[in-house]
Amino acid sequence: MKKNKAIRRFTIATVLIVQTVFLLLIAKNNYDSNNFFSIVAILLISVIVLLGHGHLDLHHSKHDYEKLSVVIWVPIGAIACHLLNVKYELGSVLSAGIIGTLGSFTPKLNKQSDYYKELPTAIYCGVFVGMSSNTITPTLGFVIAAGIIAGLFFLLSKNLFIGIGGKLGTMAFLGVFIVYLLNLIA
Amino acid sequence: MNNFIIIVTGILGAITTFYVSHHHNQGAVRASALLSLLVGLFFYYFPDLLNTYLTKNIPVVFIGTSFIGMISTTTRRSYIHLAIAGCLFSIIYINKNNLFQGFGGALGALAFIALLTTFAFSFAFSKSIYKLKAILRLRKWK
Repeated sequence: MKKNKAIRRFTIATVLIVQTVFLLLIAKNNYDSNNFFSIVAILLISVIVLLGHGHLDLHHSKHDYEKLSVVIWVPIGAIACHLLNVKYELGSVLSAGIIGTLGSFTPKLNKQSDYYKELPTAIYCGVFVGMSSNTITPTLGFVIAAGIIAGLFFLLSKNLFIGIGGKLGTMAFLGVFIVYLLNLIA
Repeated sequence: MNNFIIIVTGILGAITTFYVSHHHNQGAVRASALLSLLVGLFFYYFPDLLNTYLTKNIPVVFIGTSFIGMISTTTRRSYIHLAIAGCLFSIIYINKNNLFQGFGGALGALAFIALLTTFAFSFAFSKSIYKLKAILRLRKWK
């Protein structure tokens, strides 16, 4: 039980840290271009985000994790989107749209199956990883690694941030950001 | 004018996705992906219809705000919340310049931030919090 609680706190803290870093980097960028109104606005949003995490009821009280058989579709979605985006040069939005739309029809393969119903979200989460440009994920190995890390966060966050738009994108961003940082260090 | 169009796109992206997802029972993923695909295809085939900035950024902002529209009905949020979140997303997007360009999921993370900020604002100004404060005040007074 303690382990579940620790994992839950770790996931929420990681999301919170990444969101804060994201906003602070935007504020710093605006500081460099002397856009002080934007800095105030973005710092204000950062404070509201922190307060929102503290006060809003975003999570389910029960601990639960996504099945591995579902999570495996995150890197698959990432690879498919990356190939369309980079190899066939369709651009990130079109590639995401195509794979996302195709993925959304998987429940039609077997309407009785609960497994197929869960695949569109996993595939769409992977698609966001695959939307990365060639400079961020230069090889397929990077995409697979980012997809696996995003899948890991997707697995851990089953009962967290329920029904919130942008949850899948945030998980994908965590995957891409961590791989990017590891690549910088290495 | 460009910024105004981007903000309107942001609001439309969030609202249309939510509308298609829930009122046409298409599910959040299909609503977001299909609408983004249509917008992407439109600008793929008509790249000279608008200026370069808008042709490049409208599909990106639309797919970003469509993530906001993927919100579940269990959260009981109205179209106004979605419109505010879409507007906020567009404003941050305009001000982020080229930061996190090419990072997959950055739009989703931004959508999450915009939505969370809107929720927090809504929570702070909701009637329930006033009621709660009144009850707390009464308790202290007793």
